[in-house]
Amino acid sequence: MNILKKSFKKSIWVFHLSTAACNNCDIEVLELLTPRYDVERFGIKLVGSPRHADALLVCGAVNAHAKPRFLEVYRQTPKPCLVVAFGSCGCSSGIFRDSYSIVGPVDKVLKEEDPDAKIVYIPGCPPKPEAMIEGIIKGLEVI
Amino acid sequence: MKLLFYYLVFPGFLFASVIGLLTVWLDRKVSARVQWRYGPPWYQGFADIGKLLYKEVIIPEEAFGSGFIAAPLFGLASVTLAITILCVSFFGISEGFIGDIIVVWYLFAIPAIALIYIGSTSGNPLSSVGVSREIKLLLSYDLPMVIVIVIMASKAGTFSIKGIMEWQMVNGSNISNWYGIIAFVVAIFCVQAKLGRVPFDLAEAETELGSGILLELSGGVLAAYELSKAMMLFGLPMFLIILFWGKGIVGGVLMYLLIIVLLVLIKNTNPRVRIDHAMRFFWGWMSGAAVLAAILAHLGA
Amino acid sequence: MSKRENGKVMKDLKKKLKKKIIDIAQPREKRIYIRVEPEKTPEVVEYLFSKYKCKFCTASGIDMREGIEIIYHLAREDKNMVINVKTLVPYSKLEIESIGRRIKAFRWIEREINEMFGVIFKGHPDMRRLILPDSFPKGKYPLRKDFKNSDVTDEDYDYERSGI
Repeated sequence: MNILKKSFKKSIWVFHLSTAACNNCDIEVLELLTPRYDVERFGIKLVGSPRHADALLVCGAVNAHAKPRFLEVYRQTPKPCLVVAFGSCGCSSGIFRDSYSIVGPVDKVLKEEDPDAKIVYIPGCPPKPEAMIEGIIKGLEVI
Repeated sequence: MKLLFYYLVFPGFLFASVIGLLTVWLDRKVSARVQWRYGPPWYQGFADIGKLLYKEVIIPEEAFGSGFIAAPLFGLASVTLAITILCVSFFGISEGFIGDIIVVWYLFAIPAIALIYIGSTSGNPLSSVGVSREIKLLLSYDLPMVIVIVIMASKAGTFSIKGIMEWQMVNGSNISNWYGIIAFVVAIFCVQAKLGRVPFDLAEAETELGSGILLELSGGVLAAYELSKAMMLFGLPMFLIILFWGKGIVGGVLMYLLIIVLLVLIKNTNPRVRIDHAMRFFWGWMSGAAVLAAILAHLGA
Repeated sequence: MSKRENGKVMKDLKKKLKKKIIDIAQPREKRIYIRVEPEKTPEVVEYLFSKYKCKFCTASGIDMREGIEIIYHLAREDKNMVINVKTLVPYSKLEIESIGRRIKAFRWIEREINEMFGVIFKGHPDMRRLILPDSFPKGKYPLRKDFKNSDVTDEDYDYERSGI
């Protein structure tokens, strides 16, 4: 079992989920796959279905539209899984905090469903790619 | 007992999976280098399979549970059998595993049928779109490849693998003739379609259908599918080596690397095609080229 | 377009729509503002859309103290003009007849004005929510001036109606 757990850290497949985001963070995620900040050398790959994913990259402050759907996607991701709250909007709702349709940052919404979910916070608006890589590496130590 | 050893260890499951996963790494590394990136380290294929075995398997409610789990394992078993039959003749081991080249080709078709089965029992509408594309693709690339196999078998006078290899050792490899070159080009494209790689990866189209047929697989089931795909990346170039080169082991290794390089180059320079383009390509151009190769083979060029 | 050419449009409209409108003005060269009563608005707008060959751009709403003022923006690109039709719908009777019943282009914007301001469009064939989620509480209208952001919190949302 130990070698399987070690190999979990060497290959993380990421599913990108956008909840009421301004799309700036979504574009920054694509930057990680370009030759300058290549993350494929860590084994990270973007997949097309939440059932294949090990990490959910949640961009955006969570909307009332998006809340039940986000929780449904979280339930469909096989555990163990890592949730990355991406950007200022993911960590603390950013500048949209007092709006009538934002129901809370990612961790407040997720704690209703699963109190001991593992969340990594990457602040920034949008975060720099170096900050993203450091956040993911720190998250790998938690699992 | 010895047959079990051949099936499970060498040249069966263990040998084929190790070489297959290393080939998958080679493919990803060369693709990354072509795009001016570093690529993953050499143990990446093994890490992927190990990680998938660590995760839980989720079976959706509308799926037919036991078929869902059994189908990828069935595909894995048949790919192992096909590779064992091929390599037993190639490495000169003389007992057990009777089977000729047609049996091997259709054993390689079973993973595609297992994929169709998985897609149909998933209970997801996106999977059924992938299933219809996969069925059409399966019918398309079968025709030119069977024509090529029949050409080689008719030249050698027999369908058995050993017979084709011995004919080539006596009369010179098939690829050194004109008909051989044309047939090799046809065979490379058919192999690319069978492996489900760009430009023919319509069935598991990642960005289009949210992974298509593979949408509902997770955990160990996905590991079985990825492993069978990696083993096919070892088995199908071996198939081409036997059909077109057929001599010793040293030349075989060089030819293997050449085929892998060609497959990687085709993957990196092409976009994904639509299903009607693919069908027109295989039933039109490729079948025409295969028929031309047959005529040239008959005339003795 | 010269000023003489644009003055022609205003004179033409004044002649044709004499009895139906309260007021018509052209404060700048390329803009015409027509003020209409709420009951006569559908006739004027449909006349401009069908017979006068204007293109419908959008409709906007603003909360004045006496009621909701709805402006329909129509454009004529060959004469380089934008024609705005203003009506003031009072709070005492927040109803107006729907143009979307006959012309498809007006349907979605009327749904949006309904859910954001509370104006009732009589006869609209498909009055569902457009941009607010289905779980938003009924009776609260976000773009009114007396709506505060703290009026609606997470507990007010009724997630059973969200469709999952």
